[in-house]
Parts: sequence; C-alpha cells; structure tokens
Amino acid sequence: MNHDSKQNYFELFGLPVEFQLDTRLLHDNHQKLQSAFHPDRFVNATDQERRIAVQQASMINQAYDTLHNPVQRARYMLRVAGVETNDSQTTQDASFLMEQIEMREELDQCRSCQDPMRCCDHITGKLEQRSAQYAHQFTELYSAGRYDEANQVSRKMLFVERVGEQIDEYQLEIEEKLF
Amino acid sequence: MALLQISEPGQSSAPHQRNHAAGIDLGTTNSLVAVNRSGSIETLADEAGRHLLPSVVHYGEQDILVGQQALDLQADDPLNTLSSVKRIMGRGVEDVASLLNVLPYEFDGNNESSVPRIITRQKAVSAIEVSAEILKTLNLRAEQTLGEALSGVVITVPAYFDDAQRQATRDAARLAGLKVYRLLAEPTAAAVAYGLDQQPDGVIAVYDLGGGTFDISILRLNKGVFEVLATGGNTALGGDDMDHDIGEWVIREAGLEKIDAVMSRKILRAARHAKETLTTQNSAPIDIEHAGQKIHLILQRELFDSLIADLVKKTLMSCRRVLRDARIEREEITNVVMVGGSTRVPLVVEQVGEFFGRDPLTKLDPDRVVAIGAALQADVLAGNKQDQEMLLLDVLPLSLCIETMGGLSEKIIERNSPIPVARAQEFTTFKDGQTAMSIHVVQGERELVSDCRSLAHFELRGIPPMAAGAARIRVTYQVDADGLMSVTAEELSSGVKSDIVIKPSYGLTDVEIESMLRDSMSHAREDIEARMRAEQQVEARRVIEAIDSALAQDGRELLDEDEFAAIVAARDELSSVLEQATADQIKAAIRQVEESSETYVARRMNASVRKVLSGKNIEQLEV
Repeated sequence: MNHDSKQNYFELFGLPVEFQLDTRLLHDNHQKLQSAFHPDRFVNATDQERRIAVQQASMINQAYDTLHNPVQRARYMLRVAGVETNDSQTTQDASFLMEQIEMREELDQCRSCQDPMRCCDHITGKLEQRSAQYAHQFTELYSAGRYDEANQVSRKMLFVERVGEQIDEYQLEIEEKLF
Repeated sequence: MALLQISEPGQSSAPHQRNHAAGIDLGTTNSLVAVNRSGSIETLADEAGRHLLPSVVHYGEQDILVGQQALDLQADDPLNTLSSVKRIMGRGVEDVASLLNVLPYEFDGNNESSVPRIITRQKAVSAIEVSAEILKTLNLRAEQTLGEALSGVVITVPAYFDDAQRQATRDAARLAGLKVYRLLAEPTAAAVAYGLDQQPDGVIAVYDLGGGTFDISILRLNKGVFEVLATGGNTALGGDDMDHDIGEWVIREAGLEKIDAVMSRKILRAARHAKETLTTQNSAPIDIEHAGQKIHLILQRELFDSLIADLVKKTLMSCRRVLRDARIEREEITNVVMVGGSTRVPLVVEQVGEFFGRDPLTKLDPDRVVAIGAALQADVLAGNKQDQEMLLLDVLPLSLCIETMGGLSEKIIERNSPIPVARAQEFTTFKDGQTAMSIHVVQGERELVSDCRSLAHFELRGIPPMAAGAARIRVTYQVDADGLMSVTAEELSSGVKSDIVIKPSYGLTDVEIESMLRDSMSHAREDIEARMRAEQQVEARRVIEAIDSALAQDGRELLDEDEFAAIVAARDELSSVLEQATADQIKAAIRQVEESSETYVARRMNASVRKVLSGKNIEQLEV
C-alpha cells in the first residue's frame, strides 16, 4: 500500500503500542482521518489523487479493524515486535489443550440440553472471564518483552474468540427457531 | 487544487462556483430525482406535477416511452413494456428463470453475453439499457427544471446489492451519460434525510421495504458522521411479492386455470391496487375483466395480513441478524426510520414498531426520503455545502471470497467491513515457467462456492517465468467507496505487475459497454474520439493545476533537486502536448506525470496524516 511502512498502525492513530488502549480515542481519530482521506473528499480531484485516496482510506480502515479487535491487536503487536504469528502453529500447553476439549464438549452438550439459551449464557460468561485473564497475561508478558509466551497467550485468545463466535451463531439459530 | 490537498471537511476546492448535483433514487417500481433549489432539497415533478416516475419503459416500433406513458400501455402490451427490471440488474440468465412469475417477459436464450436480454419488438435489451432510459428521463427533467446541465449525481442502490448489481447500476449511468459521484446505500440516504433535521446523535435503524428489495441497516450518527454498523436484507423481497401473494389468492378463489400474459398483468395490477386501498381501508374490491371472463372479489384486511405474514416475518428475521452483527441491543436504538412504499402497509408498521419497541418515524414521505438524502449528499460532494461537516461511512454488505480447492470459498474480506477496504494475499506458481493464473471471486456467506454469487474470473497474465513455487504473486482485492471491487496483482521478487483480464459472471464486458455507447450516440466514430479527447484534456488541466499548486507549497521542502526537476519536466511535456495530441497521447503524458510524482504524493500524504491528528488548522498550515 501507499503508506510509509515504518509507521505502524498505532502511530497512525497517535496511540502508544499498548494492549490496553483508549478505544474512544481510537474511534475518534479513525473518524478524523476518514474525514480527511475518504474518497468522497476527492470527487473533483485528479484520477491519481482519487486512486490514492481510496488506498489511503482502505489502509486507515484496515488499521482501525486491526486495533479495534483485541485478538488482532495482540497479534499485530507481536508482529510489530518482530514475532511471527502463524495460525497453524499448535500449542504445547497441555492444560490449555484440555480446556479446549472441555469447551467444545460443553458447546456440544449445549445443543442437546433443555435450556440451550441459559447454557450458552453460562459458557459466554466463562469465555469473558478467560478473555479478561488472557488480556491481563498478554499485557504483562508483552511489556516484559517475553514475546514467545505472549504469542502463546494470543493463540488462546484467538481460540476463545472463535468459540464465542460459534456460540453467537448458535444463539441466533435458536432465536430464529423460537421466533 | 493541490495534489492530495487535505481540506477542512466541507471546504470545496472551487468555492465560488455552484455545481448542480442531483440525487437519484432508481427504484424497482418508481424512480425520483431531487436537487437543491435555492437552499432546500426538493424532488422534481414532470409537466403534469407528478414526482414519481414509474420505472417502466415501453419499446414501440421506433420510439421509447418512459414512465407514466409506458405504464399506461402495460396492460395492453405487456411483452414490450418493461417494469421491475431492477430485479434482474446484475443477474444471470438462470436467475431470470426463477423470476418469470414476477417478470413475464421473453428472454433471449441464445446470446453470448452473460447478461440476459429481454426481447421486445424493437430490439433485445438488457436491464442495464432499460435503467439507462429511466436515468436519461430523470436527467432531462433535472436539466429542464434547473436550466443547466448536471455536474454529477448520486444514485442510490439497496444496501444489500452485491458487486454485480452495483456495477450494473454504474454501467446504466454511464450509458445515460451521467457522471456518478457516488453510489449510495438507500438506507443511508434515508438516514441522512432524517438525520440532519432530527436531534444529532444516536443509533438509527432504517427499515427499507421497496417494490422488490428489502434492506435493514443500523447506523451510528455522531457529529455529522453517519457510520453504518451493519447491514442486511434480501434483494428479492418487496411489495411486488405482496402483489404476487394477492394474485395467487385471486387465482385460487376464481378457480383460474389458464392465464396468459395480459391476464397475469391485469391480476397483478388489480392486486397492487387492492394492496394500496388496504393501507387506509379495511377491505378492497378486486375487479378484473379479460377475454370474456369477469372476476369480482373482496379482499379483507385481515386476510391480506395473513397472506403477507410470512414475508413480514422474513424481514424481521433479517432485523435480528443485523442487530447481532452490529453488536447493538434493541434498547440502544434511538430511532427507527421507515423507507419504501411498502412500509405504508399497516401490518408492516405495526410489526416493525413492536419489534423495536418504539414507533417508527414516518414524517417524511417514504417514497421520497431516499432521493432527498441522495441529493443532500450530492450537494456536499459537488462542493456546494461550505459549512457542512457530513461524512458517510459505509460497509461491505456481503463477504468477498475466492474459490479454493474442492469448490470451497475462502473469505478475503468479511461482510460489514467498513469501505473502502483492501486485502492482499500471496500466491505462488505450481509449474515451472508458469506465466498465468486464474482467480474466481465470489460474494456471499456460504461455504460452498456454488452457494455464493459468482462475481468474476480474474486471469492474471505476464507473471515472469520462474521455477515452480519461486514466484511470489501478491494479489490485492480493493473495494472502493461505492462497494465495487477491483483486483491488482504483482510478482514481488521482480516487481512486475500482471495484466488482468476480467470476465464478469453477470456483467457487461468493456467491449459490450463500448459498443452500447457507440450505438447510443447518433453520430459517427469521430464524435466519440472527440469526446474522449476532451475528457483527457480536462483531466490534464486538473493534473497540471494540482502539480503547480503542490510544488509551490512544499516542492522545495519535500523534494531534492533531481526529483523536483523530473516532475517539472513531465509536467511541461504534458502542458506542451495538451492542445494538439490525441486522447491516447495525452493519457500517456498524464501517466508520466503520475509516475514521476508518486513518491512526492506519498510524502505529502504522510505529512497530511500528522497534521490531521495534531488538530491544527490544515488550511493555515498549507499557506
């Protein structure tokens, strides 16, 4: 893309490279930048300017999406620190593997239980707890420069996010059936 | 105008010139045009005072009629009178088959194009050409009222339109000779029309049930920025289907067996009339006479409600899903806006109100609200609103995917991503010396490619020959602010850009468009050349003006001597060929200027980003 590769997404929004970020400021600065670079501001400009505006606005949106989502933010921070983040790497953490299996089983049981809505809420609650815990761990590990461990945690975060999405989808299905 | 000049929101580059811009609602059933006339946005009427232009085109032996005149001929000449063509915009031959009950036309089965053509007595026409006729009529109406040509238009499309449907709409505008500032989502346009005179901030749900399409969008309005959070809907659901539900009931009640095209038209017309009556009455008579047959029925409101109950329920299901996608609770919605003629149906208002737990806003005419919002946006884009800090941030309605092994789809850009948006992907070659590859892009949420909408096959050519697996080809998928996709590709180790041949699945190829454009012009080839040359000259002057102004501002600061000289040389060359050269030569000279100034533009951009966030007044900084 047409941006200076030395500038990272955090710098683009004038934010420090930190996991706990000011989401309000992120949102405001995103809108400020879009207000300046959105292609609608270049309707009467030259073709080149219009093309660049589209690219620039796209980059701003991508940067926003990346920082807005906690899991993607964590993984992006690792890349900024020069750590490879690869989905296909498997975790060596045995207790986390156990936990994954348990979560999946619970989700499966949820599909056949009496009160699936409450069951889903229960799992969602657990997931939220986990998320908060991992966020905390990630922040500590990252600021201590223990990137490999932070990378492990980011993978756990990704897993939790995916289970959360599955539950969301499942709850919507149930609602639609009841409707 | 400077090269990537960042101006304060709403500040126009040419402040003293007033541009006439229009908003056009190109609807399934009716279309409208609205403009700013001495400070207030109005929809424009024809000589008879009618604002709504029926989206109907009649093809006679020689002439083409559009609007009410065409509609008047529909019952007697159904096969040459085309209506509801919006439903087949961007659709393929096989889609048309499933719509035959709604669109009782004869389609040209054996043409080579992927775009279905309807056979009329004059010629076989695509939905794009029919839409272009409607656009021309609206353009003419605007020009006659204003006494001047339009500088540009904003055309609305259902938020849920896919890439092919949006492209078809753009193509129609091109055929009609209109400059399109922007394709705008209909619900967003409605929110704009309501938003600017309502209390400023909040979360708005726009429920838009038109003749043939249903959209639901959730927007956040914050200090003049309309941010679409999520959008959903169904591009084949609307008031037409209600008519059809009534029509089927009529057929059952009257025990009809054989129905010809004229009868079918008459039934649908009577059905629509009954539906309209039922918006204010509790019962409606249905009287049809054809070929010695007489039908007389009374449709009670309660029965009508039960006929359309499933349809309304389907729309509410979409509302649920879109709330979920937007991560918004029902209680957070501060306003519900109703758009589209079909929201006049009492059951719809009742059920939507119940669903969101608040009375929907119906203050503005649901038929006109979209055109009014589009005209507001057009006025801002034309640079006429000096003080208006308005920005519309839209999203991609359906995920963009590519086909992978085994006919599976892999998501490249998720639905509801803010646009413009770009994503890049890397591929490699799997054969020694491979110089081409093909990518199939589809749109949709399902896992199988066959369940998604095919958009196009992109054939990349000119990959430098290398050993298998050595080439690294980066493919970039770009969606612009109109929701239209383009693809570029580059081999990374050599930096060679690939040529891309696009084969749209349900769209016109460039060659087809070109030939339609030529057909539509009454004059010879030279005229087209002259027009293209004039267009390039305008662009060239813009480029020179932009470069001059930029160099004067910060050329010495941001460029070294050689870089500066190179840009000036390219600029002078362009300036010298401007008057006598052909269109292609001017184009090449513009390209030269662009190439020589590429780095400069990037540096200016980075400087601008810093200025935007530092909160300083950018205009002052640039002086």
